Amino acid sequence: MIPTSRETDLEEPVDWPTALLPGARQDDALRRLHLLMVRAARHQVWRMRELLEGHGPELYDELANSAADEAVTVLLAKLHTFEGRSRFTTWAYKFAILQAATEVRRQSWAQREVTLEDWETWCDPQPVPEQEAEASDLAGAVERAMAVALTPYQRKIAVALLVDQVPIDVLAERLGTTRGALYKALHEARGRLRTHLVANGYLAADDRRGAPR
Amino acid sequence: MTRPHRRLTDEAAHLLTLSTEPWLSCEDCFRLMDAFVEAVLADPGTAAFREMRVHLGGCGACAEEAASLLDLLVDDRDAR
Repeated sequence: MIPTSRETDLEEPVDWPTALLPGARQDDALRRLHLLMVRAARHQVWRMRELLEGHGPELYDELANSAADEAVTVLLAKLHTFEGRSRFTTWAYKFAILQAATEVRRQSWAQREVTLEDWETWCDPQPVPEQEAEASDLAGAVERAMAVALTPYQRKIAVALLVDQVPIDVLAERLGTTRGALYKALHEARGRLRTHLVANGYLAADDRRGAPR
Repeated sequence: MTRPHRRLTDEAAHLLTLSTEPWLSCEDCFRLMDAFVEAVLADPGTAAFREMRVHLGGCGACAEEAASLLDLLVDDRDAR
């Protein structure tokens, strides 16, 4: 069961950052903070439960509690960075959500190998005429662009994340890097592909797919 | 025996060619997420946080976490 907002007493204390500092109110504030984190972590695990096929509430609780514990630790280390641009509870929730989502993704891929395929798997050195015809569409153009516009590393990252749907934090963990570094590599790969496709007439220069209206 | 060559699906080609400018890092997305989600909750049609919305369009993990945070805030609001 996910604790309700009433059970976690969301409105108290009013001044969370001060209450969480050493003092008479700290123990109570930490207890309330942990309840908040458990609530947010359970919410996240429940949303992603389809990734935990074959498991049930016992694992959901285990993951949520572990994520909540870790999130409290991370939050307290970053408490000084809270700037009051949102409610404290909103700010706190995001730590638990991030931690829980990461743990669910890690668990769901725990038994799966992540293979960074060589580009040779994609490039047929001798395409048959039928394949040449198919390659006139955007997907084919993107395949060709990937061969010439991206570095081997960019190709492997782009394929793993966007074709094989390896979760970004799972891939980061396996490669010993960060989510941010992988997203940066993906961003640069997308930019190179778009530049190449525009130059070769497959994409309009003002194409803004993905951009908000 | 050689493996069959793979081909990109249209969906993958679309994801590979999304515009993700202006740039926003995952770290900055996380830093802004609480303020962004509260802004969306207050005004679902808000045009603010353009970089956030671009980033969320191109980063599935951040998008899931922002959607989840918004969902949780809606639950809290409805419980009051």
